[in-house]
Amino acid sequence: MTTRAETMTATAVDRALEGQRRRRLPWLLPYLLALPIIAYEGVFILYPIYQGLRSSFFRQQIGMPEEWAGLANYERLLGDTAFWGVMGTTIIYMVAVIAAAIGVGLGSALVLNRAFRGRTLARAMMTMPWSFPDVPTVLVFLWILNPSFGVINVFARLLPWIEENPTWLLDPRLAFVSVVGITAWKGFPFYSLVILAALQTVPSELLEAAKIDGASPRQAFFAVTLPAISPTLLLLTVLAAIFSFKQFTLIWLLTGGGPSGATETIVVRIYSTAFRFYDFSYAAALGVAGFLLALTVSLVFLAVQRRQDMEAG
Amino acid sequence: MATAPAPVTVAGTVAMTRRRRLARTARRVGYYLLVILVCAVTFSPIYWMIVTTIRPVTANLRFPPQLWPTAIDLSAFRALFDHEPIEQWIWNSTLLSLMATLICVVLAVLGAYTLSSMRWRGRGAFAIFLLMTQMLPEALIIVPIFKIYRDLGLRESLPGLSLIDAAFVLPIGVWILKNMFDTIPKEVQEAARVDGAGPFRVLFQIVLPLTLPGLVAVGVVAFFYTWNEFLFAQSMIGDDGLKPASVGLASMISMLDTPIERLLAAGLIFAIPPVIFYVVMQRYVIAGITAGAVKG
Repeated sequence: MTTRAETMTATAVDRALEGQRRRRLPWLLPYLLALPIIAYEGVFILYPIYQGLRSSFFRQQIGMPEEWAGLANYERLLGDTAFWGVMGTTIIYMVAVIAAAIGVGLGSALVLNRAFRGRTLARAMMTMPWSFPDVPTVLVFLWILNPSFGVINVFARLLPWIEENPTWLLDPRLAFVSVVGITAWKGFPFYSLVILAALQTVPSELLEAAKIDGASPRQAFFAVTLPAISPTLLLLTVLAAIFSFKQFTLIWLLTGGGPSGATETIVVRIYSTAFRFYDFSYAAALGVAGFLLALTVSLVFLAVQRRQDMEAG
Repeated sequence: MATAPAPVTVAGTVAMTRRRRLARTARRVGYYLLVILVCAVTFSPIYWMIVTTIRPVTANLRFPPQLWPTAIDLSAFRALFDHEPIEQWIWNSTLLSLMATLICVVLAVLGAYTLSSMRWRGRGAFAIFLLMTQMLPEALIIVPIFKIYRDLGLRESLPGLSLIDAAFVLPIGVWILKNMFDTIPKEVQEAARVDGAGPFRVLFQIVLPLTLPGLVAVGVVAFFYTWNEFLFAQSMIGDDGLKPASVGLASMISMLDTPIERLLAAGLIFAIPPVIFYVVMQRYVIAGITAGAVKG
């Protein structure tokens, strides 16, 4: 009897709560909350994307009205050797930055993943490069790489085959290496901190067990640590691809894409086509090409993330 | 027989422990050398910037340079304020960043709340939409944005510039806050609702007070994204009186007669605020940028 009464009261309470909840949370509310963001991003991101796509089918010269050009801009794009060169540079730059930044990030995370005196200070230091704004970063590296007074020459001269100061940003190969190095310097501490967080979740019992079984530190790393952090590494790789693809300010202010196109990625090319040569419709077509590349990378990111979410449950 | 081996063992043990202790010390020294290497790679460019700024000009214009300062001379900072409109730049950047931060924080609270606390059809699509906008390189839409701004007369306007900056930093803001909102146990919100609190009362009286650090983190990220932003600022602002600091600093690069220590002093002043805030808020910011995908 009591149990039944209790059940009844429970259901009644449940029903009352349900009704209340329904009244309190109208089904429309989540949409109303999301709407301002969708509208805002629609106006400032989606509409410009549409406009860019549209103007890539037009031809525009300064002071003249737009005229329909069909696929002319794209035909020009496909036959443009400079465009293919830029695409190649973009991809090599992305790969080089990913390898350098994630590699150094992993190495430094492994070093810092121990209790030692001054750990907090080291972590604070790791935050500095990626919070250091782009423009001051350019300023200091232009000074460090200065052919007459740059401090890097002191160290470069230690190499036996270097007898005079290299012209870092004027030599195509050195300029590319420098730009990659600077981008990686700004990026690696971020990856390092994320990897550090992931390392802390590696179960210590597993590492203990490996040690007891007589595994060397190296074996333990490859058998236990690396598999445990590989989802994070994969995610960071894609993230690094996106970040390096977006990189404009560092390259533009360090080299402007030069010398002779050695550091010219697609975003730099778009900017100079538009604002140096005022060829807006061709810049729009370049933008669409870049957009397709960005979309591919983003979709890979989504796929990676989704798989990890599923694995995490 | 029984007594003979004893001294040998003791001597052996002593030798062994000594050797072991030596090996351990060597390993520890090696380890600290690695730590120092990591810190040196990370910090040396910033160190060099500081050294160049605080020593006399004569010390900078020589090769090879001395790797540490032997005399201190802070006149570069005075010269900077005397010769460049740096107060104006900083003021413009501050205004610009405050406007973008305001827009971003308000919208991010709404977005994070609906993503974290509510279940609705289309929620996943909304999340993907946000992620995609976060991935988009600014430079890909610079041309259409420039044309739209020109046609609407939004160029040469700091509020106009703040609108587009906010659009690009908003997704990260949503992720940072959503991560924070997710840490509040569902029961807490449920209980408040049962007590008759509407969704907005739950948001303002329960969720937000509990996630204040997240709110501050969003503010920090939005503020300094805008503070650092160069591409849109450079394309939209040509008027000297409206230049934000990023554009002003970049314009100093091309002025060949600017002394290096003055240039770097300007860079240092511009970089100190974001570095301080990021060092403090690091934890929340990292989680947001990786879109909460890194567990733990």
